[in-house]
Amino acid sequence: MTTTTHVPVVGDGTTARSRATSRWRRWRGPIAILSLLCVVGLLAALPEPRTSSVPLAPDSTATTGARAVAQILEGQGVEITFVRRAAAARAAVTPGSTVLLAGERNLFDQSQFDFLADVDADLVLVDASWAASVLAGVDSSWSDGSASADVAPGCDDPDAVAAGALRATGRLIASTPDTVVCFRGPDESADQGAYAVRTVDGQRIAMLADATPLTNAHLADTGNAALVLRMLGRHDHLVWYLPSPYDTGSDEGAGGPGLGDLVPPVVGVLALQLLLVVLVVAIWRGRRLGRLVTEPMPVVVPAAEATRGRGRLYRRSRSFGHAAAALRAGAASRGARRLGLPASTPAPQLIDAVALATGRRIPDVAALFYGPPPTDDSALARLARDLDDIESEVQSS
Amino acid sequence: MALTWRAAVLAALGIPAVLVVPVPGTVLLWALVVLVVCVLDAALAASPREVAVVRRVPPSVRLGEPAASDLEATNVSSRRLRGLVRDAWPPSSGAIAPRHQVDLPPGDGRRLRTTLVPTRRGDAHADRVTIRSIGPLGVAARQASIEVPARLRVLPEFASRRHLPSRLARLRELDGRAAVQVRGAGTEFDSLREYVIGDDVRSIDWRASARRSDVVVRTWRPERDRRVLVVLDTGRTSAVRVLDAPRIDASIEAALLLAALATRAGDRVELLAYDRRVRARVAGTGGPRLMPALADALATAHPELIETDWAGVVSQVRERLSQRALVVLLTALDPAVVEQGLLPVVDQLTSRHQVVLASVADPELHELSRQRGSAAEVFDAAAAERVGLERAAVAVRLRQRGVEVVEALPDDLAPRLADTYLALKAAGRL
Repeated sequence: MTTTTHVPVVGDGTTARSRATSRWRRWRGPIAILSLLCVVGLLAALPEPRTSSVPLAPDSTATTGARAVAQILEGQGVEITFVRRAAAARAAVTPGSTVLLAGERNLFDQSQFDFLADVDADLVLVDASWAASVLAGVDSSWSDGSASADVAPGCDDPDAVAAGALRATGRLIASTPDTVVCFRGPDESADQGAYAVRTVDGQRIAMLADATPLTNAHLADTGNAALVLRMLGRHDHLVWYLPSPYDTGSDEGAGGPGLGDLVPPVVGVLALQLLLVVLVVAIWRGRRLGRLVTEPMPVVVPAAEATRGRGRLYRRSRSFGHAAAALRAGAASRGARRLGLPASTPAPQLIDAVALATGRRIPDVAALFYGPPPTDDSALARLARDLDDIESEVQSS
Repeated sequence: MALTWRAAVLAALGIPAVLVVPVPGTVLLWALVVLVVCVLDAALAASPREVAVVRRVPPSVRLGEPAASDLEATNVSSRRLRGLVRDAWPPSSGAIAPRHQVDLPPGDGRRLRTTLVPTRRGDAHADRVTIRSIGPLGVAARQASIEVPARLRVLPEFASRRHLPSRLARLRELDGRAAVQVRGAGTEFDSLREYVIGDDVRSIDWRASARRSDVVVRTWRPERDRRVLVVLDTGRTSAVRVLDAPRIDASIEAALLLAALATRAGDRVELLAYDRRVRARVAGTGGPRLMPALADALATAHPELIETDWAGVVSQVRERLSQRALVVLLTALDPAVVEQGLLPVVDQLTSRHQVVLASVADPELHELSRQRGSAAEVFDAAAAERVGLERAAVAVRLRQRGVEVVEALPDDLAPRLADTYLALKAAGRL
């Protein structure tokens, strides 16, 4: 055996330079990945024209979308505010702007649009018969989807006249005398048309019974573009209100103050400071005093594992015969040993000896040790118990 | 670099500042202050790499007994070193309080003692010594882990040595040295002495009595200078756990007790640990040097998960032993394994040597065979019964070939093997 020489060890063989190098080597991979992620994230966050596929949305490029109109309007210097909630729409309206209510499929409550009557802005109601009847008193409007035909304006509204013709399927009926109804069909009455304008309390309300002229697919048809652009481009600011199916309440957000309004402003900064404290505590607690020491663990194989496996095998294959034979052989060999018989004693002799020792009848003993195998769980358990009994009797004899 | 609780307190002290000036800039500024203080403090701390460390451990310790790992740390820098030193050992070494607070002025040294109470046999290799040097403000620290190699050999417990005195007494009885009425038998002629009442009349030497006027009896003593070869099976069956300890542990205990007894009896003991190749061997050592050599060799004997090559064992035994000897096989009496491995070759051993097979029995097997609680338990009992029968059958076959089979529970194996040895010796069968 060699004796260990005790030479003092000073340092771990590293210098500040080698440590810096190894640290850089260790961290450069993660740093590269992290910076790559940052760059990708920044690129993703750049303001990029985003598109959707929501019908009548100003950012939708689908055939049912309205991005073409929106882009032309923006090119003409009209600022578009796209909103999906009533509260946001109310907040977005500025005096002297245009408000477009596009579609009413997602309107469930009158409060979702009746505020429009009070705003200081021109209204354009497209495919919104409920809003039209409430706000402008137009009796009914429908869009039957029948084959559309080009119709002449047939009125003196400047927008309609400028458009010259309209290709749309929707119809509305306006019974009030001060409503200007345009684009009447060939066999329709005077108060029936596709487009109507009415001024209520100084608020100009333009109604289009059908949203088709706005869509990307049909904007270029005949006079659709002219009518729509004149209708929406009256003012520099357009609020594009497309009701959302998720707008549950009429005054959500606008009603009670949110959590952010209730807590004092210092809380946010305090949370930031607490984050710093948590970070420092994490570094304090997280730094280990040296690495974890590992060692190989011994194998754990319980000795009885194989035996239990064998028992399960018996059970699964329902080998009552095998199990009973094992129990009987075990009891017989112990009994023979107790009675001083050699292990090779023939069965009749063993039965005689056991019967003599226990006082039982020979056929009973024979049936117990050499009878037919049991056929079910309870018979096997009974056999085991009986063998135990006779064994204890032999032991005490 | 590492931080202390003071750094956390310093960070928390920013909370009042934030309450006074509640803008995010305050937080940023405070974070900067904490950072600067920590970096500065760490920079002012003594270098943990300028510490001369010597680790001293005893070469070996018995399992379960305490050993001391001494670290001598000397501060060779020009700054005062305050901080923590960790003397890292593997978990099974049972290091008690391996972290030490130190405060060393420049040039000063200290001895740091860590008590080890090993819980596993074998070689324990010390891990790194970690030094954390805390700065003058006690806010931040520098840390380095230094490789200081050390090895502690954990020897087998040899708990069975408590059985040694009683077996030695029996040995002396055999030897005829103790004054007892019943003399031990022996096969080697020792001397002639005068008849005293109580002596066996059959041992009277009539020819010698005729030459003298007294009645003279012959005395015998057990054989001496016999060879005992202990073969420790380190194959896969030795890894099996019986009562929460691997089978090999009980076998090692038995080997140590037998060796201690046989050396005292004047026999020459050799050891071979084998599975498919020689894992340990002790030969040609006698007297007081034998037991330490055995303990050292057995300390690193670990079960290998491979099948034992019994033909290899036989050739090893042949190579080692030229004359008749006692060959003790410390293995498992596993019916399938014995039938495949040992039985075909055992004749080659028994033809020349006295062979004893010592095996650790599993108490769980007996418990399993007695349970009757449910149908599943009865099936388990039947399986245990069957295993027991097969085991008995294979033991019978081994006995028929002249092998003494000793099967005992882990704690009983060592004394039972010693008793078998004494019985063989008394019968003159060595």
